[in-house]
Amino acid sequence: MPSTLVEKLAAVVGPDHVATGVALSPYVIEGRTPEAAVFPGTVDDVRAVLGVAAALAVPVVPWGGGTAAGVGMPTTWSGLVLGLGRLNRILEHEPGDLTVTAEAGVTIAQLQAALGAKGQWLSLDPPDADRATVGGVIAANASGPRRHLYGTARDLLIGVSVVTAEGEVVRGGGKVVKNVAGYDLPKLYIGSYGTLGIVVEATFKLRPRPDDERFVPVMLSSVKDAGAALRSVMGSDLVPTVLELLDADAARALGVTAAAALVVGFDGLTEQIDWQATELARIAAAHGGRTGAALGGGATARLATAARDACPAAASVMRLSVLPTQVAETIEHGGAAAKARGLTSAWSAHAGVGVVTAVLAAPDVARATDIAAVLGEWRGVARAGGGFATLEWAPLAVKASVPVWDDLGAAGRVMQRIKAELDPNNLLNPGRFVGGM
Amino acid sequence: MAPLSNDRKRALRPELDALVGTDGVLSDPDELLVYESDGLTLFRALADFVVFPRSAEQVAAVVKLANREDLPFVARGAGTGLSGGCLPAEGGIVLSLMRMNRVLEVDYDNQIAVVEPGLVNLHLSWRVGPQGYYYAPDPSSQQACTIGGNIANNSGGPHTLKYGVTTNHVLGLEVVMPDGEILWLGGKTRETPGYDVTGVFVGSEGTFGIATKIVVRILKKPQAVKTVLAVFDQVEHASAAVSEIIARGLVPAAIEMIDHLTIQAVEDAFGCGYPRDAAAALLIEVDGLAVGMDAQTERIVAACRERGARDTRVARDEAERQLLWKGRKSAFGAYGRVSPAYMVMDGVIPRTKLPYVLGRVNEIVAAYGLRVGNVFHAGDGNLHPNILYDPRKPGEEARVVQAGAEIMKLCADVGGSISGEHGIGLEKADFMPFIFSAADLGVMARLKRAFNPTNLCNPGKIFPTKKSCGEVAVGYRPHPIEAKGLAQRF
Repeated sequence: MPSTLVEKLAAVVGPDHVATGVALSPYVIEGRTPEAAVFPGTVDDVRAVLGVAAALAVPVVPWGGGTAAGVGMPTTWSGLVLGLGRLNRILEHEPGDLTVTAEAGVTIAQLQAALGAKGQWLSLDPPDADRATVGGVIAANASGPRRHLYGTARDLLIGVSVVTAEGEVVRGGGKVVKNVAGYDLPKLYIGSYGTLGIVVEATFKLRPRPDDERFVPVMLSSVKDAGAALRSVMGSDLVPTVLELLDADAARALGVTAAAALVVGFDGLTEQIDWQATELARIAAAHGGRTGAALGGGATARLATAARDACPAAASVMRLSVLPTQVAETIEHGGAAAKARGLTSAWSAHAGVGVVTAVLAAPDVARATDIAAVLGEWRGVARAGGGFATLEWAPLAVKASVPVWDDLGAAGRVMQRIKAELDPNNLLNPGRFVGGM
Repeated sequence: MAPLSNDRKRALRPELDALVGTDGVLSDPDELLVYESDGLTLFRALADFVVFPRSAEQVAAVVKLANREDLPFVARGAGTGLSGGCLPAEGGIVLSLMRMNRVLEVDYDNQIAVVEPGLVNLHLSWRVGPQGYYYAPDPSSQQACTIGGNIANNSGGPHTLKYGVTTNHVLGLEVVMPDGEILWLGGKTRETPGYDVTGVFVGSEGTFGIATKIVVRILKKPQAVKTVLAVFDQVEHASAAVSEIIARGLVPAAIEMIDHLTIQAVEDAFGCGYPRDAAAALLIEVDGLAVGMDAQTERIVAACRERGARDTRVARDEAERQLLWKGRKSAFGAYGRVSPAYMVMDGVIPRTKLPYVLGRVNEIVAAYGLRVGNVFHAGDGNLHPNILYDPRKPGEEARVVQAGAEIMKLCADVGGSISGEHGIGLEKADFMPFIFSAADLGVMARLKRAFNPTNLCNPGKIFPTKKSCGEVAVGYRPHPIEAKGLAQRF
C-alpha cells in the first residue's frame, strides 16, 4: 500500500516533492516515522493530496516549520506529513489597508521583513520566528511577550483559507479589518493543531511600526514582591506592550541578576517611553526594587525562551494559564514543589495575561516518578485557582503518565461534535489534540 | 412551523407561568406586538410567547420546554439590532433577557467583570468608571443595547479601530445550549483547553445558544484624550486623509466620517458645531498617555492639512469634545429632520477603496431617485450609508431595498464584506453568496449543526433561503415568513 500512496502523491506534486525512507528523519515524532512526506506547491495540489489521503484513508499531519511538532500526543498513526514550506508567497500587502495576506508556509521572520520594509508589522512575536510559519502559528496559537498589549492570533487574524478533510477550499472571515458576516471561522482554526482543516492562506491586521521601543528590567528581592509590583504596574497609567515576570534562573538567562524580575516593554514616541520608564522606576522603588539598563536587541525572543534557556537539561515544559494575580503564587508554589523532590525548575510568565511557562530540569531520566509528581502538582496549582495547564513538551515516557491536556469539561462535547462534523473520518492529525481529537 | 393554535397556546401558558412566574410571560397578541421587530422595522413577525427569565436555570427550563414542544425560540436583548436577527420564527418563544441585567462580579486587579446578558452596555462602564476602568466596545446604541446582544452580533463601535470589537473583549461564556444544557465556554483565564468555542459563539447571532453569564475584559481608562475635527470641501480629500493618517504610523482610537447631508441634519437637530457648508468632516480621536498627546495631535492635523483639509480644530475641553461626539452618535436620530424615514446600510471595504466606493454609493442611490447620508467608521472602512425615503410614497421602499443590495454587491466586489457590525440576520441572508462560496457556507452549516442540531434555536437567520446558493438575484424577494403572510414589511 505505501508504494501506491507514494506513486499517487508523486503523480500530483512530482517525485521531487515526495520524501520517503531516510529523507523522512526530520519528520519523525516521538519515534514514529510517517509513511511519506509530501510538499505541494499550490493550494490545488494541497487539495489533490488531501484527496489521495482520503481515498486511501491515510491520516495527514500538516507541517509548517516543525516548531510545535512535539506538542500534544503523537498521532495514532502518523501517516502522511503534509509540508507547507513551498506555499511561501506573500500574496497581498496594501499598506494603506494595514492588512496582509500570505500563504501558510511563509515564515514569521520573512513576513516581518517584508512588512518592515513598508514601516509596518504583524504584532505577534512567537518564538523561533525564523522557522515558525504563518500556518503553524495559527494552528498552534503561538504567541510571545507582546501579546500583553497586542493580543494573540485571535485578535489579529481576519481571514483564513483552509483545505478541508474532503479536499475542498473553504474561506472564513475576509480581507477587511471589521467583518461580522457569517460565523467567525478563523477563530475555529486558531489553536486547533491541524485537526479541523489545513490552513493554506491567512489574512492579518497590521500595525504601523512604532517610532521607538524599550524593554526595562525591574530587579526585585522576591517573586512575591514581583507579584506585588506587577499588580501596581497593571493598576497604573502605564501602557506596557510587554509585562513579564521571571524567577531568578530565568532572569539570569536574560543577563539580569535578581531574586525575581519584571521586564516591562514600552513602545511609541520616545518621550512617551521616557515618561513611562521614570514612572516604572517609581513603582519599582515602592516595592523595594530598582530598574536596570534597558535590555539589548532581540529582547522579546530571549524573553520568550528565558525559562528554557535557564534549563538546558529540560525534562518537561508546562504552560499554565492563571489569573494575573495568581502568577507569583503559582511560581512560588510550583518552584517549591520541584525543590521538595530534589528537582530544579525555571519560570517565566507573560504575567499581565497570566500565561506561565514552567520548565522542569531533571538530570536523570530515571526520576520519572518524581517528574510526574511535580507536573501533577503544578497542574493542581493552576486548576485550584480556576486555571489550566498544558504539558507543552515532554518525553513520551512522561506523557504516558501525565496527561498532555486538561480535561475539557462539558464544553468538550461541543468540541467533539465540531471535530466529527468537520473531519468525520478522523484523518487530520488523529489523536493528537485534547480529548483524542 | 406555524403559530400555535389557541388551544395549544392556552395549554402551554400555565407551564411557562410555572417556569418563570406569571409576571414573566406575555401571550396576548397586543402585548406581543412590542416584540415583533428589532431596530430594522422592515421585518415583523409575532411570537406565541415572550418570556422574561431571571436566571440561567429558567432560560434552560424554557429551552427544554421548547424542545419538548418542537417550538422555535430566540433570545432578545434590547431589540436594537439592525438586521432582524432577534425576530421570532413563525410563532415560537422569544426569551427576553432584560431581567438578567446584573453585574455579578468585578475583579479590578485582574481587569475582568462577569455580567448577565441583559446588562446595558454603557451601564458596565458606569459601574466600573469610578475605579478608573471602562468596557471598550462602544456601539452607537450603547445607551440601550445589551452586552448579550453585543455577543450575538460581535458588536463594534467607533473605538474599535484601536480597541477591537466585542470578541476581543470576551474571555468566557456560560451558555444555555440549544438542547437546554448549561455549560461554560472559555473562562476567566486567557487560555482554556480545546477549540476556541467562545470565539465562534461570539457573532453567531443567537443561533448557537443563549449566553447567560459573560466574562469580559475591562480596561484602564486612558490618561488623556484629544479629539480633532477636520473639515473638508471634498469628500475625496477626507477619504485620502484617512489613509494619510494611517500612513504616518498613527493608530487613532477612532476616525469617523460625517458627510454634508448628515452635517445638515445634525446641525438642525443639535447644533454641535459642525460647519454646515462642509462636504465632509472627520472626527479623529487619539487617546493614551498625556505625554506625547500634543505630538500625535500635530501629526494628525498635519496629515489632514496635507490632504486638503480647509480647517482643523482640536476640542478645547471635555464639553466641546462631548458635543462633537453627540453629533456623531446622534446622527441617525437627526435624519428625522431631513426625511420621514431612512434605512441604515452596513458594509465594509478596504480603507484604500473609500474614495471610489463613496462615489459609487452616491451614484447608485441617485440612480434610484433617492438621497443618502453617510456617517461611518472611516478608519475601519466600515460604511454606513443611510438611504433617506418616504414610506408613504408607493414603491419608494422597494427602491431603497434594491439600492441597498447594489451597495452590498459593491462592497463585496471591491474585496469587502456585507456586514461590519450589524450582522446578517434576516436582512442579508440572501447576500451571503456575494462573499461566501457554497463550500464556505457548508462548513458554517456544519458548525451550526454541532451547536444546534435541531435548528430550533433562532432558525431562518444567516443562511441564504434559496436552494441554490450559487445564484442570487440582486433585489428584494419576500422572506418565506413574509410570503406566507406571517410577517410584513413596512
